[in-house]
Amino acid sequence: MSVDNKVSSLLPLLSSPRLLPDESEAEFESGLQSLLSELDNPSPLAVVLISQLNECLWWIKRHAADKELLLHEAMARLLSKAGSYSETYDNRKVSEALEHYLDGSADKDESAWIDEILVESKLALPDLRIRAFKDAAKHIKMVDDLIHRQHQTMRHLQRSIDSIDYKSRLIKRMDLELAALESKQSVKGA
Amino acid sequence: MPNHRRNLANRCNALKSTGPRSVAGKRASSQNSRKHGLNSAPDFESSLEYQALIDLIAEEGFSAFVCADIAAGLLNYRRVMDAYYDTYTSPEPVNEFMRDMNVNGSIPIFRELLSPSGSEPGDVRDMAAFFASMQRQEWRKGGPVSRRSADSHKLIRYQRNGIARLSRAVRQG
Repeated sequence: MSVDNKVSSLLPLLSSPRLLPDESEAEFESGLQSLLSELDNPSPLAVVLISQLNECLWWIKRHAADKELLLHEAMARLLSKAGSYSETYDNRKVSEALEHYLDGSADKDESAWIDEILVESKLALPDLRIRAFKDAAKHIKMVDDLIHRQHQTMRHLQRSIDSIDYKSRLIKRMDLELAALESKQSVKGA
Repeated sequence: MPNHRRNLANRCNALKSTGPRSVAGKRASSQNSRKHGLNSAPDFESSLEYQALIDLIAEEGFSAFVCADIAAGLLNYRRVMDAYYDTYTSPEPVNEFMRDMNVNGSIPIFRELLSPSGSEPGDVRDMAAFFASMQRQEWRKGGPVSRRSADSHKLIRYQRNGIARLSRAVRQG
């Protein structure tokens, strides 16, 4: 049975990992294929487990991106609190301007605005990042826990795949030994 | 009426609400605290996928008992991961109005809103304190990314149990 057939035998019976709208399905699939290519003739169950392993890797990627987003969120919050507005702090507007400012795509007005808020809050960009890290530490720790969980899950999956692989090798070896014994027996009989 | 003022008036009126009255409303609100449904016992045995999985896993040389365990473990693990994805993609929404409002700057509006009922100056202070405490709660929860991390974090134990069950089932075979 080819790997494609094995994928189509068990996987359709299980719900498949879902991707976010901005994620590339081709990248996800290529990750799965590269994992599958590392195993020599995997069984259908091993293919299912490898697919779960690929999903874990994907989750680690998502959570690692979340850590950066958390920092950004905290930086925007600090800046919006520092700005003096009449009625609202308008966190979203600050967040968008800061995003453009940090990736260098901000227009003149946005850059001037962020510079103004930074001066108003008496913070330089590195200080802002440090303070944001301190503020977001609790949530960053949570994301670290989530990443750690995925690593643990991968370890479980890896052990399960190893056990299936070992089992199939054992069965093959016993078949060979049995065949050898049978041929020996037939030689003696003759 | 300006948007901010109207929002504040709506919030003040909502404080007078005593909850749902109709049977349908009560039924709907009884499900408000339902999060992911992972605490309810799943019924895999009656599903078509379960039987099909057992048949396919049996072809790999596992005993019937182990096949049933692996199939249930797989379906359970997928259930947890689906709930994990749903929780991650739909976190508790941020109350932007509450998060971004300037409570002290809104005191004149509170005064104006409370004045028809002949309120005391203390009432305005109480209302400002109430909104400030709501805002602190909102800040503590953080933005959308913090919320989805916190919500997903609650599912860690389900993941741990789900993968342990699956891994045990595979290795005992």
